[in-house]
Amino acid sequence: MFQYIIRRLLLMIPTFLGITFMVFFILQVAPDGPFERAVAQLKSANATSESGVSMSSDLIGNSSELSPDILEDLRMQYGLDKPIIIRYLIWLGVFPKEYKRETAVIGKHFRETIDFVQINENSKKQLQKYILVESEVDKNNNISYNIIESGAGLKYSLPDVSRLQTDENFDFEKYIFFQSEYQELPSNELISTWYFSDWDLEKVNSDNTVTLIKKEFNGIFQGFLGYSEKKGKNVSTLIAERMHISIFFGFTSLILVYLICIPLGILKALKHGKRFDVLSSIIVFTGYSIPGYALGVLLLSYFGGDIFPLHGWRSPDFSELSLWGKIKDQIHHAFLPIVCYMVGSFATMTVLMKNSLMENLNQDYVRTAFAKGLSEKRVIFFHAVRNSLIPLATGIGSSIGIFLAGSYLIEKTFGIDGIGLLGFNALIDKDYSIMMGALAIQVIILLIGNLISDITYAVIDPRIRFK
Amino acid sequence: MTNKILSESILQKRINRFKSIKRGYYSLIILISLYVLSICAPIIFNSKAIMVKYNDDYYFPLFNSIFSNKNIEAKDLGQFEIKGKKKYGQPHYRLLKKQYQKEDKGNWVIMPLYPYDPYEEVISEKDEQFTDGNGNGVWDPSEDFIDENGNGIADKYKYTNFPNSQHLLGTDNQGRDVLSRLIYGFNISITFAIVCCFLSYIIGIIIGGTLGYFGGKVDLFGLRIIEIYGSIPFLFMLMILATFIKPNVYILASMYVFLTGWIGITWYVRGEFLREKSKDYVSAAVSMGQSHWNVMFRHILPNSLTPVITFAPFAIIGYISALVSLDYLGFGLQPPTPSWGELMAQGRTNLQYWHLIVSPLFSIGATLFLITFIGEAIREAFDPKVHSRLR
Repeated sequence: MFQYIIRRLLLMIPTFLGITFMVFFILQVAPDGPFERAVAQLKSANATSESGVSMSSDLIGNSSELSPDILEDLRMQYGLDKPIIIRYLIWLGVFPKEYKRETAVIGKHFRETIDFVQINENSKKQLQKYILVESEVDKNNNISYNIIESGAGLKYSLPDVSRLQTDENFDFEKYIFFQSEYQELPSNELISTWYFSDWDLEKVNSDNTVTLIKKEFNGIFQGFLGYSEKKGKNVSTLIAERMHISIFFGFTSLILVYLICIPLGILKALKHGKRFDVLSSIIVFTGYSIPGYALGVLLLSYFGGDIFPLHGWRSPDFSELSLWGKIKDQIHHAFLPIVCYMVGSFATMTVLMKNSLMENLNQDYVRTAFAKGLSEKRVIFFHAVRNSLIPLATGIGSSIGIFLAGSYLIEKTFGIDGIGLLGFNALIDKDYSIMMGALAIQVIILLIGNLISDITYAVIDPRIRFK
Repeated sequence: MTNKILSESILQKRINRFKSIKRGYYSLIILISLYVLSICAPIIFNSKAIMVKYNDDYYFPLFNSIFSNKNIEAKDLGQFEIKGKKKYGQPHYRLLKKQYQKEDKGNWVIMPLYPYDPYEEVISEKDEQFTDGNGNGVWDPSEDFIDENGNGIADKYKYTNFPNSQHLLGTDNQGRDVLSRLIYGFNISITFAIVCCFLSYIIGIIIGGTLGYFGGKVDLFGLRIIEIYGSIPFLFMLMILATFIKPNVYILASMYVFLTGWIGITWYVRGEFLREKSKDYVSAAVSMGQSHWNVMFRHILPNSLTPVITFAPFAIIGYISALVSLDYLGFGLQPPTPSWGELMAQGRTNLQYWHLIVSPLFSIGATLFLITFIGEAIREAFDPKVHSRLR
């Protein structure tokens, strides 16, 4: 058993890689991606700036075509200068991502912004380092370069920028600005401690400068799912903000489905061919024939607005409600979506339960139990039902996976901002980092769900042994 | 007579058993007749006239548009202007009919049974709703008019209309007739499902058959690949592809089959082949020197068709649902293709128009309901299970 789980876990790795690579590949070769959109955006921005004040035209070139330099920069920004397989490895985090490139003069430091730190409500400070490149010549005339850095430090905020800007004697070259903050550039002596930097030397230029490059392993294996520029947030944050929604809907509907389907299936099997069976079959078949989201649209048009809210996960003033009010509000919002979530698996579960119980009632052990003189109730509920729950139990893992991954159809219909809708909107916005991040999480959930399925199978049914 | 009964083949037996299950059999008949009706839809639900008589000449616009590319211009039929605007190109036959009746020169137009087609050019026909004073077919602000609803107010033309005597199921948000869009949508959905079914059965039988027949390492390796492939969120992939391939029904069907449709049937066929290949008749065929191909498709395949056929109706339900959800999300067939999912999406944005919600929902529900009945009946006929209980 233990060995089996280990083997299944190992098998999950190639599955995960296969799925993510396939989607990654398609996204990368698909035309009209984020890169093309950025180019188009730049072009249109150029066109408007040309028609207005012709500023920075030397930088960008003419309006219809971007200069090769800019294109090259953009390509690097989107990582398109590398083959797809390398891009995929970067996304995984087994290949370093080059995310900064800087040309530095030897012997002169430059600043590197590491992060923006919120000090209080009004001021944000830049966390920065100073990088210095020193050259050393040894006796064989070989030049070696040392790249060192100062410890990171905060910049100080400036009380009044406008005063300085009107001051004619103010030397702008000496100051760096960021959102009304400044710091005087330190001279080399002022910085006392220097460390070896994580910048790498890429090449040495002829004019006493070097090109430095900063690489970092930053991918799935490091727990980094990507950064969405459109939303300005890390993908993992975006997903974490929505996880509880999917978990709520997933588990609630799963539990309700089992609570309803198992007794219904038992009842249908016991009354096979009777009026109850036929009538409930009609309901079950109707449920099977109508997609959940379509039922959702119908329910919304009849009950939405007056009885149930039209969309959303909770009321906007949810946090101000009392505990009882919160519960009421949550049920109020969740009722219709959960009905739709349940419709999908309701029919299959009920029929599965019914058929499996009918099959078991045919078995020899039931005959034996009857022959021993056990009561009908005892035979059915202690012998037959227990065995017929096995096929349902095996489905539980994959159901968890499917429910947790979120249904974008239902979430879109009810305007619930869950994981499914996040992925769907990312698809429309062509936000590839969110798409890949959400995909990775969903695939992991699905795979773990399948594993749970297999394990429950073995736990429940002792006849099954894994080799 | 006795001879005939003795030689009744197993297939004949199954067909007879299927026929004896009434609800499945009648569902099949209803579904087939609906599909035939939807194939004939262009001559029943169309805004082009079947026959026009104009100045001793006879025209057949509908058949011209189906069988040849010959165009009939509006001016050929004497329709020079519509509602005060010059009319070019194709005539507007419903207005032409009114015009002829008004002119009373012995010209006439025979319209199809239901004279609205799903791609209807959006044009206000509100002037048909009332009789105007001077008889020019246009209501001028100064003139008296008697409107049909009798409230004396000229209703402003709006695209979406509730069901009325002209549009039996109302119109959608672009003024197109919902009923004819539903019928054409039915045809497209079933066609999509049939194409999907056909393609996925070919792929499924070949791949599943190979895996099941050869077994061993081929099977193990192939299953891993299918497992990976099957875990890909296919609807997501299809949507990615649909953003840059603009598919028609057949391309969308092939894309769907290629991405996911073949997997279910492959599992089924593989399982069947695995079971069948250990039987004696296979060993006999192999020992006679039959080629692998022959053994697989001449001997094993006919013997393993039962679950494959039973699976088909449920696969078709899956295909139709998939098409509807894709259209609902806007990643399916290109507009203006009539589709149920697109109507559903319109209903979601216009919740007050119940006919946009109920009519596609009813169509989907009824169609899938019929197919479920057929599926149940086929399963019952092919693989009858006798449930006996002791008490």
